Amino acid sequence: MLKFDVLVIGSGGAGMRAALEAGRQGNLSVALMTKMFPTRSATGMAQGGINGVLRNADPNDSLEKHIFDTVKGSDFLGDQDAIEFFCNYAPECINEIDYFGVPFSRDAQGRIAQRNFGGQSSPRTCYSADKTGHVILHTMFEQCLKHGVKILKEMQLLDLVVDQGELQGIVALDIQSGEIMPVMAKAVVIATGGAGRMYWFRTTNPFTSTGDGMAAAFRAGIPLKDPEMVQFHPTGLASTGILMSEAVRGEGGYLINKDGERFMQRYAPEKMELATRDVVAKGIETEIKEGRGFGEGVNAYVLADLRHLGKETILEKLHGIRDLAISFEHVDPLSEPIPIRPTCHYSMGGIDVIDHTRCATAITGVFAAGEASCISIHGANRLGGNSLADIMVFGKFAGRGATECARQRQFGGQTKLAEAAKLWQDRFNQAVSRQEGVTVASLRNRLADIMWNNVGIFRNEADMLAAQKVIDGLIAEYQTCKVGDSSKLFNTAFVNYVEMGNLLTIAKAVVLGAIHRQESRGCHLRDDYTERDDRNFLQHTLVTLESGQYKLSYRPVVITKYQPAERRY
Amino acid sequence: MRQITYKIQRFDGTKSFTQEYSFAHEPGKTILWGLQKIKDTLDASLTFVAACRSAVCGACAVRVNGHAMLACEAALDDVVERFGDTLIIAPLGNFKVIRDLVVDWEPKIERMKEVKPWLIPQDEFTAASGCRQSPAEFKKINTQTNCILCGSCASECNKLSADGSDFYEPFIYSKAQKFVADSRDKGDWEHLKPAVERGLWKCVHCQECITKCPKHVEPAEDIAKLRQTSIRLGVTDNLGARHALAFVADLAESGRLNEVKMAMRTEGILRTAARLPFALRLLRKGKINPLHALTGNAPVKGIEQVRAIMKAVKEAEK
Repeated sequence: MLKFDVLVIGSGGAGMRAALEAGRQGNLSVALMTKMFPTRSATGMAQGGINGVLRNADPNDSLEKHIFDTVKGSDFLGDQDAIEFFCNYAPECINEIDYFGVPFSRDAQGRIAQRNFGGQSSPRTCYSADKTGHVILHTMFEQCLKHGVKILKEMQLLDLVVDQGELQGIVALDIQSGEIMPVMAKAVVIATGGAGRMYWFRTTNPFTSTGDGMAAAFRAGIPLKDPEMVQFHPTGLASTGILMSEAVRGEGGYLINKDGERFMQRYAPEKMELATRDVVAKGIETEIKEGRGFGEGVNAYVLADLRHLGKETILEKLHGIRDLAISFEHVDPLSEPIPIRPTCHYSMGGIDVIDHTRCATAITGVFAAGEASCISIHGANRLGGNSLADIMVFGKFAGRGATECARQRQFGGQTKLAEAAKLWQDRFNQAVSRQEGVTVASLRNRLADIMWNNVGIFRNEADMLAAQKVIDGLIAEYQTCKVGDSSKLFNTAFVNYVEMGNLLTIAKAVVLGAIHRQESRGCHLRDDYTERDDRNFLQHTLVTLESGQYKLSYRPVVITKYQPAERRY
Repeated sequence: MRQITYKIQRFDGTKSFTQEYSFAHEPGKTILWGLQKIKDTLDASLTFVAACRSAVCGACAVRVNGHAMLACEAALDDVVERFGDTLIIAPLGNFKVIRDLVVDWEPKIERMKEVKPWLIPQDEFTAASGCRQSPAEFKKINTQTNCILCGSCASECNKLSADGSDFYEPFIYSKAQKFVADSRDKGDWEHLKPAVERGLWKCVHCQECITKCPKHVEPAEDIAKLRQTSIRLGVTDNLGARHALAFVADLAESGRLNEVKMAMRTEGILRTAARLPFALRLLRKGKINPLHALTGNAPVKGIEQVRAIMKAVKEAEK
């Protein structure tokens, strides 16, 4: 049986940073497992930048300002102790990755360049043109190669194996060979990313963001925290949902409705386009709803106009954006505005982390970092540039936490692992041999439909109750759905089937959390409860699986210095 | 209704075969959309990988009618306009195929590791305070950092197709150049040495890697830059460097190539002598003048200008 002291699952920024940190401690066996190849991760799609108070662009920036911007951005749902920790460590983590080789854009003095981003009181977003995530991801990969991190590529996480509150290991599918493998581990870091693919048609996320780690942790008994908090990025390309970086707004782009008006003045008179993502997304959708968008229904959109920024800025700083607009929307931002509409972007919610200094969960040996986790520093709305900072800071601390934990623990027994592997083997055999049943693609499309229409940007109880019914129906159909490929060799149809199960598992938690959060906060906008309700909901939602049932509970938000106040931009 | 047909080169682990799939054309779609359509509605066993569908993760590169491209970015309408409504889709060339359109990256990464593809930071920098780099220095590495490891350059590399044992995948040279050109890095020779030892002078200059790169990386240019650096570092004891230096010497001397001297300067007298039959054939066709071996070419008219240009280029390179 394979065994590792520390096993990191997921090879985005958080996972590679964690593996690197664990690998650097020496004397421990560390492996990095990914269902693809390491550099295919969602981190690479992050464009705009990474936040940290370096004071390069603004000597008056301060940690307090970063902390407050993040707290306010989260609509006061972020835990303030964790946010302080995060902001304090962000600058040194950024300097560190500069030293690792991240090619940052530079200011005239050779320091890391910083730009404006939504919801921030200072230009503190460090960037590398508009490919910041890409270069961070590749630099992390380079460092993993340098430090000889063992990479288990093309391995699909199936389940965590836990015995009496203690991690034993995991079960995974070796996609290439088709073998279902138990893997013993003293500590596991789950860094498998978000679950945006539940909104299949309209998300910036890669096909692989299917919440595999979240679902596995949930099945193992770890709660999902604030699952209803799903961020919609305001500037997705209209026809595909592909991301147009926040740098589009950060560099000074305008958002225009069909009357040619910069409509953000109605929603954020001070910050205008530079308000937070939830506020801008709400603004765009309101314009569309009230008939001031272009086009109709699902094809409606508004425009992002960059032309006044000039050729030089667009070519230097928004080069990749321009390429994407040309390739996928057939529009050249040098001469035409870009049709855009909000698109599902980020899961603020995720695996419930209870100790942010180690990224530990309630189960001994299980750690979580990155989008898969909910620490919570993003609360009800993440600031642009805070997720790359999140994965660099908490990836590192999760790697350390897992290392310390592994040093103190022994390997568990193999019995439970073998049993779990056997169950999955049976499931594989049954699922791939079914000749009848609906296809995974059909389930996927119907889930995306109901999520976008009923649990999208504007939500209300009736729509969500209807969604809940549909999802329960889909879960029932899933039990007998058809995989359509019985090969053991690189069976991506079976992988898609596993991913579908995970998406359904999480979607159900999203809807449950959303129905019961009877208020509007951050990205969670209720038509039937339009105000924020601090008396009842200054709390994290916790959804836990108990004897096959989804149970709901709440935990108060940690407040240190900043009392909730009205949020204006 | 207009139909699009994909003839897909498949592989099930033991045998290769071609399978045809047809589906209704829709405007504004991509090659990847077609593959997904087939997997969703016609045959779930068709195997390919894709992730970001926005041309940044590098997972989905395939060969369409013999040309490597990112399936997610390749506009179906453009491709069918070029090749017709029936397309031949195959896995990347010069890769080991695992199944259908999925290829094995592991051996490629093992090779990439040889050029130490990581920053070897200058001593003046520390992890605590990071590095310094001017905007101009940053610009020198800004194209190489676009590489998404999609493998398109390797797929179409004519040198690799002929013999990959003494040549790297083009992106590996770009990766090496990224660090050689990085002002923060002190390990030029560490990145460069493996490249010199494996094929740096064997690129056949077909430029396919540049043409096929979906991210505007220019591996052939990077190979040229690595060659320049190697000469600057004094690594001239090889055929390629000698050949390049002979070129420069000839130009300075007469403004023209001296084919006879060139061969001797590059390969030495003994090896040049072994090419006598070839030289005789050239002689018979009037392509070379053996006297030039002794006398050299007569300088071209305007040689002074040629020399001035060469001097200016040298100055500019400093």
